[in-house]
Amino acid sequence: MAISRRAFGIGLVAASAAATGGYVYLREHPEIAGRFGEAKRLFGFAGGEKEGFLANARVKNTLERRFGLVIDGRRAGSVEMVRERALLDQKPQFLWPSSSVLVEVARSSGVKISRDQVIFNSPIVLYSWDRIADGLVKGGIAQPAGGPRYTVDLSKLLKAIIAGENWSAIGVADLFGRARVVCTDPNKSNSGFMFAGLAASLLSGDVVMPETLSRIDGDVATVFRRMGFKPPSSGKLFDDYVAGGAGAQPLIVGYENQLVEWVLQDAERWKRLEANAPAKPVILYPQPTVFSAHPLISVERQADDLIEALTSESLLEMAWEDHGFRGPLGTIGKARNALLQSRLLERIDAVLPMPDAPVMLALLDRLAA
Amino acid sequence: MRIFGFLRRSLALLAVPLMAALLSGCGGPGPQFTILSGSENDILEPLVQEFCKSRNATCTMRYQGSLDIALALKAGDPGTDAVWPAASIWIDMFDTTRRVKMVKSIVRMPVILGVRRSKAQELGWIGAKVTAKDILGAVEGGKLKFLMTSATQSNSGAAAYLAMLAAGIGKPDLIEAGDLDKPEVLATARGLLKGVERSAGSSGWLADLYRDGERSGAHYQAIWNYEAVIKETNDKLIADNHEPLYAIYPADGVAVADSPLGFVDRGRGKEVESFFTDLQAFLLNGDTQGKIAKTGRRVEIGRATPLAADPKTNLDPSRPVTVIRPPEPAVIQKALLIYQEALRRPSLTALCLDVSGSMQGPGETQLLDAMRFLLTPARTREVLVQWTKSDEILVLPFSDHILWTARATGDENEQTGLLARALELRAGGGTDFYTCAAQALALMKPRLADGQHLPAIVIMTDGKSQGYMSTFESAWRADGHRVPVFGVTFGSEVDRGQLDNLAKLTGGRVFDGSKSLTDAFRAVRGYN
Repeated sequence: MAISRRAFGIGLVAASAAATGGYVYLREHPEIAGRFGEAKRLFGFAGGEKEGFLANARVKNTLERRFGLVIDGRRAGSVEMVRERALLDQKPQFLWPSSSVLVEVARSSGVKISRDQVIFNSPIVLYSWDRIADGLVKGGIAQPAGGPRYTVDLSKLLKAIIAGENWSAIGVADLFGRARVVCTDPNKSNSGFMFAGLAASLLSGDVVMPETLSRIDGDVATVFRRMGFKPPSSGKLFDDYVAGGAGAQPLIVGYENQLVEWVLQDAERWKRLEANAPAKPVILYPQPTVFSAHPLISVERQADDLIEALTSESLLEMAWEDHGFRGPLGTIGKARNALLQSRLLERIDAVLPMPDAPVMLALLDRLAA
Repeated sequence: MRIFGFLRRSLALLAVPLMAALLSGCGGPGPQFTILSGSENDILEPLVQEFCKSRNATCTMRYQGSLDIALALKAGDPGTDAVWPAASIWIDMFDTTRRVKMVKSIVRMPVILGVRRSKAQELGWIGAKVTAKDILGAVEGGKLKFLMTSATQSNSGAAAYLAMLAAGIGKPDLIEAGDLDKPEVLATARGLLKGVERSAGSSGWLADLYRDGERSGAHYQAIWNYEAVIKETNDKLIADNHEPLYAIYPADGVAVADSPLGFVDRGRGKEVESFFTDLQAFLLNGDTQGKIAKTGRRVEIGRATPLAADPKTNLDPSRPVTVIRPPEPAVIQKALLIYQEALRRPSLTALCLDVSGSMQGPGETQLLDAMRFLLTPARTREVLVQWTKSDEILVLPFSDHILWTARATGDENEQTGLLARALELRAGGGTDFYTCAAQALALMKPRLADGQHLPAIVIMTDGKSQGYMSTFESAWRADGHRVPVFGVTFGSEVDRGQLDNLAKLTGGRVFDGSKSLTDAFRAVRGYN
């Protein structure tokens, strides 16, 4: 059974070739690579609304075990992450903002993009409380949509805010002062950014263009000035909403998935709340609304693998089931949660496109002034 | 027998690590973890420590004012693994590099006015709906004075001040930029701030001062503070058989602190980060939130039952309050600047500076550095402790006698003159700060009569004083207990005892200047 020196030599070359080939193959197939060797660490910024998804043990586990990826995703506002030098200078390997328009903005900030792809979709909605929503129905601003869910005539609401109407004038008798809706800082975070775009389009009567912007930007600025302090991220604003209650946060802008995530985090809390709380959170779907797409921008080639991983069926289903993110085309996943079914609209047909990047940048400058 | 001996030794060797593992709990040792926190959270520290103990972790909570926490974030690495200020606005405005992540509100605390019950009765406020206008009326009519932390140094002071400003504007739901240019708004706010009897850089310390006032005979009338801190103060007052505070929730709006706990990413690895997420989850679980709710703090809907209302003190954490929206950051910054430069009660500060022989060398250098900071408007303005023309500054360098005295206003040129003189100081001789403090009091006396200024004596020293405390104490008592004494200690072998006694007597505080005299002097300014 002695092996000749020649055979040994050939075996060595073959083994080395197989190892090299295997290494190259595994590098190109992260799904297999994850099962072997050390995981690849990726650092980047993600919008606050995806912090829960990235912290989900099932997600982390799948990313690491199946795809060999460990994600260090820091929370940053979607707009600031594609514009602010203080963040970009930290050399993120990926950016995960919450609007496709921001891919263009990133490019114009000098970000070298290896690849970008929409991972999730979530409609922009208004969050309020049942008794306030019922008031808005009486005031002719909102309409019931079967069950504790509503649609809202956002254009009418915005006009009432611009006119400085009190809450009582729009049907909400027990709130003090002038009506307002609060969103995140549009210069930092995407939900505020998208709401600014949606408000501008609704006030101009169509998707706002460079030539129509100057006609309505003053009105948009009034809506934003009335908000006072605007938190830098949507996750923080939603936390303020649920923690502060109806008195502190009567009406805010958020993503549809935020309530889903909050309910799923602690189902018992939700049941207690539905049974006892003096006011219960409700979603008002603006008619029309805008879809927040969540494009992943890989800045370094290494982060391309993250796109592959996140668009895998298993992670997309986890995103819907545990976090309420709709898929890349705005469709919902397979899971149905009894706690929330009566509060979500399965189909959202009235969707407006976002204005172009140059119009949005001009609007942001106006709102920052 | 040899086999048994071998087995015994082997078992003994095995037992040592086994016992160690059992004694240290199930897992290995947890991380060393530090939290930079507002003083209002000290009552929650046992819960934090309970969690840390369960993980064999060593946790340290360092308490600072909101502005200190904000400035630590602004500088980059705050040197701690988590921050827990009173309100998220301090993180949002100052954490420009977004180092803080996973921020979650642990509790909610409205900032309200606690009024001595008999005073509330006298004002007709028991069971009544009280607005900020009513409070203004009582202050202007000379019927009410209160304790409030510095609006530029502490969150509860900022919150109370913004609520007063909003009331002055007459549309308390929001302060907008243009509102701060209106003379009538500023007049209202100035009127309300005339009611400030004592200020501080820390809400916890201010609450202690209120209780000390019951013992020392100062008997303060009211205090702006967090609802939960008013409750804690009442618990202690009632236990000591003192009169409790009656809670006033201004009907036209209060500011609410949201107590955010956030992780500071300093690259310490996954273990530290997951320790933080577990700590946060522990503080937010139903069981812990139930314990927290018992302290009078408001917790998120559905998490726990709030503390029952107490008709005697009017405290009711389930009472809905009208919340003033925090203004935009630029408006807040402008409001704070106006507070410091135009609206707060002007200060009358005597600085007793120790230039005795032991200060030679590094002591002298650091003292002069601290003076450069304190008397350079560009530097004090950065941290919102600048003097204004309405402030009065007395400087008294001393050894075993007073070398000279100088008086100036906060006018920029006068500060420059004062600084030039201070920079000529050289160390030598013995130490007697009692004489200096007594002399300072004598110099302040003519300016105290009209009650316009908020007075303080600040003694900076590195050593024990000669002379007797009675030199100062008798003069202070004769003057009617009006002036608090603050100490700033310096050097490694300082004996704080004498300064502590002076501070305790007068309702002052001693600050440790051994790490940074400049920081200590800045902290003192928050109290004056």
